[in-house]
Amino acid sequence: MRGSRHWGSVKQVTRSNFAEALQQIREHIRDADFIAVSSQKTGAAFPSSSSSASISPFPAAAAADASGHPWWHRVSPIDSLQTAYLKAKVAAERFEVLQFAICPFRLQGSKVVAYPYNFHLFPRDELNVGMPSYSFSCQTSFLSSMAREGFDFNLCIYDGLSYLSRVQESMAKHRNPVPKLHSITSMGTSVADTVFMERVKLRIEQWRNACRNSNPNEDALVRSLRKLMRGGDAYGSRPCLNIDVCNHRQVQLVAQVLRQSFGNLVPLITPDKGGELNVVKVVLTSSEEDRNLLLNEIQFLEEENEKKFRGFREVIDMISSSQKPVITYNALNDFTFIHSKFIGPLPSNMAEFMCSLRLVFPNIVDVNYLLREINPLRKANNIPAAMSYLRRQFFVPIEMEIPEQANNNTGKKHGHMALRITNLFAKLSLILKISPLDSRVTEKPGFISIENYANVFPPFCTVLRENEEEDVDDSTDDVRKVVTSNIVFLWGFGNVGSSGELKDRLRGSHAAFSEDFELAMVDKSCAVVVFWNPHSSQTLLRDIASGSSLGGPLSEMISDGLRVVGYVAYKKVCGIGLWETDLADSLEKSSFESDHNYHLDGGKETSEIYWNNELIINLNDL
Amino acid sequence: MRKPLILRAFSVAVTLTPLRSLPPSRCLFSTSASAATAAGGIVAVKKVTKSNFTSALEELRAQVRASDFVAVDLEMTGVTSAPWREAFEFDRSDVRYSKVKDSAEKFAVVQFGVCPFRWDDTKESFVAHPHNFYIFPRGELSIDGPCNEFHCQTTSINFLAKYQFDFNACIYEGISYLSRAQEAKALNGMSAETEGRLSNSMKSGTEPSEMPLVRTADVLFTERMKIRFHEWHNSIVNSQGVHCTEGGSNSFKSQFQTSFFKMRPAITLSGFSSRQHKLIQMVIRKNFDDLVYVCATGDNLEDQKKVVYAASKDDKVLLMEEIRNDLLNMSKEKLACAVGFRQVIDLLSSEDKLLVGHNCFLDFAHIYSKFIGPLPSSITEFASALHKTFAHIIDTRHLLKANPVIRQLIKKNSTSLSSAFSLLCPHISLASHNIRSASYSDVKVEVKADATGSNSGAKHEAGYDAFMTGCIFAQSCSHLGIDFKLPSASTKLAENPNLQNHINLLYPSWNCGVVINLQTGEEIMESSAQLFKWRYPKMIFDNTIILWGFSATIKPRELKECLCTAFGQDSITSIFYLDATAALVQFSKQELASDFLILKDSLERNDDAIRVLHPLSRLLDGGRTSAGSYEIYKKFCCSPISKPLIAEQAEAMGIRWETSAPQGFPGCSKGSDSRVQHLTSASVAKHSEGDVGPVRKDPHRISCEDILDSLYASHALVGR
Repeated sequence: MRGSRHWGSVKQVTRSNFAEALQQIREHIRDADFIAVSSQKTGAAFPSSSSSASISPFPAAAAADASGHPWWHRVSPIDSLQTAYLKAKVAAERFEVLQFAICPFRLQGSKVVAYPYNFHLFPRDELNVGMPSYSFSCQTSFLSSMAREGFDFNLCIYDGLSYLSRVQESMAKHRNPVPKLHSITSMGTSVADTVFMERVKLRIEQWRNACRNSNPNEDALVRSLRKLMRGGDAYGSRPCLNIDVCNHRQVQLVAQVLRQSFGNLVPLITPDKGGELNVVKVVLTSSEEDRNLLLNEIQFLEEENEKKFRGFREVIDMISSSQKPVITYNALNDFTFIHSKFIGPLPSNMAEFMCSLRLVFPNIVDVNYLLREINPLRKANNIPAAMSYLRRQFFVPIEMEIPEQANNNTGKKHGHMALRITNLFAKLSLILKISPLDSRVTEKPGFISIENYANVFPPFCTVLRENEEEDVDDSTDDVRKVVTSNIVFLWGFGNVGSSGELKDRLRGSHAAFSEDFELAMVDKSCAVVVFWNPHSSQTLLRDIASGSSLGGPLSEMISDGLRVVGYVAYKKVCGIGLWETDLADSLEKSSFESDHNYHLDGGKETSEIYWNNELIINLNDL
Repeated sequence: MRKPLILRAFSVAVTLTPLRSLPPSRCLFSTSASAATAAGGIVAVKKVTKSNFTSALEELRAQVRASDFVAVDLEMTGVTSAPWREAFEFDRSDVRYSKVKDSAEKFAVVQFGVCPFRWDDTKESFVAHPHNFYIFPRGELSIDGPCNEFHCQTTSINFLAKYQFDFNACIYEGISYLSRAQEAKALNGMSAETEGRLSNSMKSGTEPSEMPLVRTADVLFTERMKIRFHEWHNSIVNSQGVHCTEGGSNSFKSQFQTSFFKMRPAITLSGFSSRQHKLIQMVIRKNFDDLVYVCATGDNLEDQKKVVYAASKDDKVLLMEEIRNDLLNMSKEKLACAVGFRQVIDLLSSEDKLLVGHNCFLDFAHIYSKFIGPLPSSITEFASALHKTFAHIIDTRHLLKANPVIRQLIKKNSTSLSSAFSLLCPHISLASHNIRSASYSDVKVEVKADATGSNSGAKHEAGYDAFMTGCIFAQSCSHLGIDFKLPSASTKLAENPNLQNHINLLYPSWNCGVVINLQTGEEIMESSAQLFKWRYPKMIFDNTIILWGFSATIKPRELKECLCTAFGQDSITSIFYLDATAALVQFSKQELASDFLILKDSLERNDDAIRVLHPLSRLLDGGRTSAGSYEIYKKFCCSPISKPLIAEQAEAMGIRWETSAPQGFPGCSKGSDSRVQHLTSASVAKHSEGDVGPVRKDPHRISCEDILDSLYASHALVGR
């Protein structure tokens, strides 16, 4: 399944063909079993999809230059799910999504019927409300790699779809109100109310009569003079009268008057920019038919306006309301973006994020997680590697069918990632015997519902690379689960040439270091140590804290400025967002921060990371 | 949006602002715009990208050398990274500079216009060569690139799109660059890097990581390799490398190609996986003393892995030396290539020509930070550093505003680039058959069209803007009494006495009425400052506090009432909303400012009835209201973080919930020179209507209910 030759083309969607595409995708989503999504961003907390540096987990300890994005800010194997989320959150808030590929597909045995779409996005401020974003960041490496894939930036910026998140939409509506029909609630009236209602009634009566009596043959001048006298206005082709109100109650009263006494008048409420009610427009209709016509007209306008607000988000809402399982690769990366751009601001921790996300997308399946199900501790960090592994281990031919979508496609390969995910998922679901959510086929024995695989996000996975020619390194590297309480961070050790050198210096300096341990450099000034003995880290931290029973070499190093902290400190740094250039600086600062600002939720609770022996790297390699 | 957001920093700002605030100038704007487009068809601007950079640079060298002055102009990806970082006319000098610094550090330059002007005696006109360079900070070296991340302001990108900016040309074809500081750093790191690569490629010495042979496939592969290399090795040793017997199976032939490397027999390895390469390296290291595994970088930048035969130990050392030199030379070449567009800046600097820009302080901040080095922390240091690099800079906006003769011409019109151009140079901006016959004083400018790669210029394209700037300058010179027809006039334009009142004087911000003298580093109130219309009373910074995190429903008038009830009717001089939940509040007395901070602090500590009844309670509702001195605002502006709202900024910077301790309130007031104006309540009311605009609900701080509401709404949608 190599190349995109027989994969057909992906429908490219911009402003010009959005309305048409919307109709099509609505049906395709309705009929689909699954929906694969993938997006192209201006940057991410995960290594760039095609930067050559992304092969090693800490590609360049030296690459923390003044203006750049230091490497430790990115998600790496030392991250637990929570810290990975916090890093992904920061990235999702900074960067933009420029392309969003969606591929609804049906799975029938080994046959896949897919309808791939690729939407071009740009956060244009269409409604002049300062949203969706004031400014955003771009990572040059991401833009360059998009350029290598032939991305058309002009098309995206000139003609990309804009959008507002759900939360932004409600705020924008608050600020840019549209005329609305009024819904009437019954309420009791006081004397003052009755007086007000009588006055309004009188005024409306006079005005209506004047309108009725107007002679169509009248001179234009006379007509306009009359109009001026009446104080009327026009709503479209219909005459209308503005009635000043000063609160919500008066609006209700006006509506009540109309309902009681005037069948053919329609009240319209337009709050001003501050959201305050000043005026009720009363529109005169000539008959019952005309009244219905007007109501439909207003309804239509309202809907149009809603559409304008939502923009591309319409598609996201469609996926959400379909409740179909969403298939992604690296869900944490994609869904932090989706949440922050299309739903609302990201919550401050992973648990709340998952909770809020589940309300919108009940079943999210990360292909990466499925891969781990097949071979739990294997490093399958890109789709080509995963594909080649599957090819060797299993025989699962997949027949992809992409019905031609009448569209003059440019034949560019944008959005093919979603197709690739579709293909990979199809293979995996055959191997794992996954059945779709609403199994039209009767539940076969031995099949597992997709729900069992949904909503598990593996914290670290390197981003899929577009380039399939890349050498497919399928070495069985050791990936070991490590409990975070066995991890400590070190800094203040001066200049070391390599992690090996530092390891040699530490070896034997303390009881904890006399046993086997792993060490890797996070950046130039900070190292991470993993103990295999579950008590070593505690003993080390306790001994350092008490200052007693420290051996010669270690106490010497400590007096030279060596600092050691547990994983909790790292969690705290990510939690309060101390994103200094060097991790050492952040850790140092966080130790001064008073603890009451940050509740160490789960100081005791430990999580796991996937330690990879590849981390043991020589600084010279960088 | 409280203010039009703009890209071509200041000149554009001046172009657009009147559109909103002064309707009468609208017609002027539109005529000037059409004039510029009309001229667009005439002026040919040379488009320079990666592909034609080298040749264009050579031509430009000659043109700059021969020129009398060079006009420059920049297009950026944005101006302000957050609404509260916009330039306000009352900004304190250091704050003003920190805003410019932030802008120059965050945003990228995407287009650079350079236009040398040369006076031609025979034609009695200037000859201009407008160039439009597309630049993009591509990380071409593996070392620290020019910047691996930059900001885009959405409105600015949209603005560029409106003027048909070609983003593809910029990102695909843009010329990269390195600043002088980056180049120096790279040179420093280069030898170390070469060492690293060398040891990486040779894997000589003791390699700590020994790969255990776990898999049978690995063991078999290693054995096979051992045999294969033995065969080859023997064949060389026996026949002294004249030719080697082509043994082995066919499948090997494609993977092992015998070749030569540095006059030594070698085998080029291809078609192996990276793991297999590791195994081969191990085999060579363990079993063959006179074979060396080399990772040679060829001309096509493809890494070639070879196994090379070195006859002796000395030969091996020699080989390593040769490879080292190769690597070093290659990285030097790469580095020279990576300097890229900076060569143009070096050219402008070394030729010591008079540089002309329009409202160019931000432009030069960009030039300095992108091509010279990190921006200094104070404006004085920046001025002197800039002066060292470029000795003569003229801001045409200063010419237009400060010179009475030209001011007369401009009258009340905008000093924006395009309107000044159509006013001062109608003979260029409009077609030559103009209503106004070419008068004696009109300075003629001829555009030297290049046969290849020229586009017709358009407004807000850096090359064309640079051209307009140059034309305005030439015409202004003539109004200043410089007669280019006299042989002495153009010889050393920068030393012309008529220009001495304008040279090296720039506006640090478009709306502040202050000029900075680059020679002395002093900031001076502009002599024509009386022309400047102050919309706000002069700030006394000691009296000013910043408040943030209060409820977005509090309108400026309410805030004022709230503070006035607590501190007396005349206690507040002015209130300026930075965003919906943050404001700068100026008290009439310095004590009041510190009193406020103390009172707020004590109120927050008491959680009793007094607090609820206190007039300030509304302001403190929600418990997130924080306050600090003006210094805190400066701190915000100096921070590399940029969040859309002050409240979020404070949170991100770790300045949280508590009042920042009142500090920097010295006993004596130094506000003697400041113009104190007590705002009447009417003018505060004006704030609330005009400048602040509708108080918007905080778009980012959203209560949990908001999110849940919208989510449940979506659930309802699903249910339908």
